[in-house]
Amino acid sequence: MTSHFRKYLKSFSIAAAAALLLTPFAASGQTASSNDKWLHVRVVSSDNKGETVRVNIPLELAEKVLPAINKDRLHNGKVTINHNDMEGVDCRALLAALKDTKDGEFVTVQSHDSDVQVAKQGGYMLVHVTEKRWHEAKDAKDSKEAKMTEKSRVEVKVPMKVVEALFSAGKDELDVLAALRALSAHGDTELVSVKDGEQTVRVWLDSKNVAD
Amino acid sequence: MILAKLALGAVGTLAFVTVYTFREGTIRVDVDEHRPGGSHVHFWVPATVVPAALHFVPDDKLQEASDLAHEALPIVKIVAAELEKYPDADFVQVDSEKEHVRISVHGGKVYIDVKDSGDDVHLAVPVATIEDVIENLDSRSKAQ
Repeated sequence: MTSHFRKYLKSFSIAAAAALLLTPFAASGQTASSNDKWLHVRVVSSDNKGETVRVNIPLELAEKVLPAINKDRLHNGKVTINHNDMEGVDCRALLAALKDTKDGEFVTVQSHDSDVQVAKQGGYMLVHVTEKRWHEAKDAKDSKEAKMTEKSRVEVKVPMKVVEALFSAGKDELDVLAALRALSAHGDTELVSVKDGEQTVRVWLDSKNVAD
Repeated sequence: MILAKLALGAVGTLAFVTVYTFREGTIRVDVDEHRPGGSHVHFWVPATVVPAALHFVPDDKLQEASDLAHEALPIVKIVAAELEKYPDADFVQVDSEKEHVRISVHGGKVYIDVKDSGDDVHLAVPVATIEDVIENLDSRSKAQ
């Protein structure tokens, strides 16, 4: 009886020690599926400090964390918008018009300081903003001789479904959580690209957990 | 014979305690201040010790910490739970001429590395320990 008990105790001790040893490895082995989407942000400064910022966030993590943040204008994954922020632009009307429009250039607004192009193409909403920089001519009397160069260029490419999800909440709200969910159902895509004299910003979505 | 059995028992117990203590890995802290008189702190502790040590922290001190982290606690709780799904990932990386910051997860541990011209700070904490601490803070603050 005693020898049986000893054998049992010995086996139990070895099994318990093995289980305890392997617990952390088992926990770390629960990896995310390969279908997980990662949102990447990369900012490269071209100044003398040469700063590079790389941020990689799993969309699933963002989807879980966002509803837990309740601060200022962000509540339950929705951002309250102020009409003053929109500078009189009715985004919902713009979106409704864009939805029913055929592919191609939709709106082009040219002004002294910037050119804005909004278009729908292949299920994406494209926004291109070019900021202008004017250089005065040597002879300031003749303003026509002023030369224009590109100060910065912003290119935004967002799937239409994401834009629709973003505006699916109440009148004065942006549903960021719904937009993230719509984004996670989408394939790899380039979302934002900003180029100016000081820095380059790129935001994109793919299935890799590291930036390129 | 009795001595041999006693020795075997002691070694077995020691092995069991060691395995139990280190089952969640270790917490490692390295701080180096590169200036005259700057401090150099290097230590590591078994991760299981931290949640256990929290039981000995007086309620009022813990409540103070809990109040300070009140807004962040639910977020950290979700992040810690989610991080277990990403055992190897670099989340944030900042590199410049003088500064290097890296926040990553490798082998179930969160690594925070900050290096600038003045200081080097390296921190490694198992994700499971963060979860344990948050759970502990949460349950203690609810009980009060």
